[in-house]
Amino acid sequence: MPDMASLAHPQQRAFNPYTENGGTILAIAGADFSVIAGDTRQSEGYSIQTRYAPKVFRLTDRAVLAVNGFAADGNMFVKKVKQRLEWYRHAHAKDMPLRAIARLIQTMLYARRFFPYYVYNILGGIEEDGTGAVYSFDPVGSYEREACRAAGAAQSLVQPFLDNQIYFKNQVPAPGTSHPAHLPLPTVLSIVIDSFTSATERHIEVGDGLEIYIVLAKGRTLHGTESIGGMQELTTTDDGERVFVVRRDLKKD
Amino acid sequence: MNSILQRYSGSSAGGRLSKSVVEDDSDFSDAMWGSEAGFGTLAKGVPGFVVPSVPDPAAFLRLHTDDHADPSCRIKIQHGTTTLAFRFQGGVIVAVDSRATAGSYVASGTVKKVIEINPYLLGTMAGGAADCQYWETYLGMHCRLHELRNRERISVSAASKYLSNLVYSYKGMGLSMGTMICGWDKTGPAVFYVDSDGTRLKGDLFSVGSGSTFAYGVLDQGYRWDLTDEEAQELGRRSIYAAGHRDAFSGNSCNLYHVKEDGWKFIGNYDITKLHYEGPGNVAGSPGHGYGYDLRVEGRSSANPPEVAAQA
Amino acid sequence: METSFALTGKGYVIVAADTTAARSIVKMKVDQDKIKDLSPHLLMAYSGEPGDTVQFAEFVERNIRLYQIRNLYPLRPAAAASWIRRSLAESLRSRKPYSVNLLLGGYDTSLHTPNLYWVDYLGTVVEVPFAAHGYGSYFALSLLDRYHDPEASLEEGLATLKRCIDEVSKRLVIDPGKYKVKVVDKDGIREVEI
Repeated sequence: MPDMASLAHPQQRAFNPYTENGGTILAIAGADFSVIAGDTRQSEGYSIQTRYAPKVFRLTDRAVLAVNGFAADGNMFVKKVKQRLEWYRHAHAKDMPLRAIARLIQTMLYARRFFPYYVYNILGGIEEDGTGAVYSFDPVGSYEREACRAAGAAQSLVQPFLDNQIYFKNQVPAPGTSHPAHLPLPTVLSIVIDSFTSATERHIEVGDGLEIYIVLAKGRTLHGTESIGGMQELTTTDDGERVFVVRRDLKKD
Repeated sequence: MNSILQRYSGSSAGGRLSKSVVEDDSDFSDAMWGSEAGFGTLAKGVPGFVVPSVPDPAAFLRLHTDDHADPSCRIKIQHGTTTLAFRFQGGVIVAVDSRATAGSYVASGTVKKVIEINPYLLGTMAGGAADCQYWETYLGMHCRLHELRNRERISVSAASKYLSNLVYSYKGMGLSMGTMICGWDKTGPAVFYVDSDGTRLKGDLFSVGSGSTFAYGVLDQGYRWDLTDEEAQELGRRSIYAAGHRDAFSGNSCNLYHVKEDGWKFIGNYDITKLHYEGPGNVAGSPGHGYGYDLRVEGRSSANPPEVAAQA
Repeated sequence: METSFALTGKGYVIVAADTTAARSIVKMKVDQDKIKDLSPHLLMAYSGEPGDTVQFAEFVERNIRLYQIRNLYPLRPAAAASWIRRSLAESLRSRKPYSVNLLLGGYDTSLHTPNLYWVDYLGTVVEVPFAAHGYGSYFALSLLDRYHDPEASLEEGLATLKRCIDEVSKRLVIDPGKYKVKVVDKDGIREVEI
């Protein structure tokens, strides 16, 4: 039973609606494809809440969104983005272009400038000109188009690896050769898988499962990568762009 | 809820905030159903913001986002930057670095800190990246509306005043921006400094950010009104290099713009490490060698042995 | 905030320090000399906690003098810098450490080289071609990266120092005011007007 003194003096508690649910996401843009991936572990502190909580979501046949940070905010945010995209489809009878989705996400995040969604977003997909694209966002909506980006718990482990393997940072090409501007899909996929297996080894909040979304531009085939186990097609329209998902296991300890 | 409404209804920001407080953000305007998506609320005047239902929303925000007070807080807003802009005989030079840091982690080395508001106006980014990006984009929309309404381009003075008044209406709510609005209007080249305190200054030369003092050191000493275009571009580049070299929170690369009578032009992106060792390459105003101190004084010695000693 | 600069040139070191003695928001004195002549070829500019500064500077001065009396020759700049660093490092680990930052400029008459040491109250020593302490360093270091020349004549060196002083008085909210400027070279120490 509460003592009278504490009733007489009501205590104010700090309003803390945020937590951190771990995990890592990453996206890489190719010349005519885009790969967006995330692990599926969800944790709070040292406890694992679930081994399968998706962080990567198909928005349209040419746009995939990965969210990381506070899972409840992330799920809410994805729900609202999907809702706005559906309304757009009803009004215009087509899917919103990728660059427009990027701007929409900025304004939606910024609308919560004074009560932010605690989420780091990475948007991947195909632009109207058929190129692969990655957009990365901060929690209040500043964004930029990039070729690759990692976010979340193992960002500082994965991003330097990507800088070296995608941008060829600190690598000198052999005399008479140059670094390729874009990597082929099979190479990108193996870099993504290696990123996550390594992050799983060295970060306690990463592991359990891996979901890799692949978005292909019009007319582009999967050539060479069909053989990857666990691949599933998610395409819903016949616009030309195609979306696939690959589900793999990561270590569960 | 009513207490929050009352708190803000007196200020000019009240109109913007109170709607969402009462209605919650699940209330979408009709405009959101159409193609105005995002800025659709513009049709009704101003965008609405969601605020937490606590007695002091600004304190709530500070608790969760201010990384100076508490490095462990969750939402990190990028800080640390060097930006500069100066007016001279040949227009305006705008130069910035491209580093974004979250604590001591380099979150990005490719940030665009020059915001292209329209073909005649540039804004720079220091402080909160989202604040600068969002409000300067918003400013761009209002500059266009001004053109449509008045059949003439907005002056740099008016555009910067618009931004200044806008951020002033949010004073105390935690916006963080230090920006220079640069352009060319009827009066010629113009630079205005605008920050989230509500300060707005007209001037010839500004530098903003954690590396600004280092940039000023080089900029002030090399600055003259009658600089040639090439000299001015070189000075902008050299000053950002100096800041990138001395300030840990600045670096990666320098983005250089030149505003003339017919609008702005992107001059180039220069890797700061490359500037150190090799210089800017074959461009106008290049000194033809690296900017690095060690390179510049290589082989030079302050030792002064007398003639006899030298022979021995 | 106190500001001091030093730079080397062809056969010399210039050491400059502002002459303001401030307490709270009040300027108590505007002609204070904050550069000590430690030996015929050694200068020390000191700044930091009021009280500590002069106490520590005089302590150093006496000991450097004592060494010269005992041995008939003075410590060379590198040795003096080592001894001073050690004094600060021991002080730091005492009950009441000296909070003093230094610039040591000397001319080594055996090697014919000017030497400049940047020293802080933690006992950090680094030999540098140019140096600065205080808020002025935020403006002067990038400027010196750009303009310093190890082979500059004394006139050129003083012109570069003038740039630093002018830049700081232009940009720093509180102008440090006048500076005392001293030069050490093969002929010893002298004060110069700027």
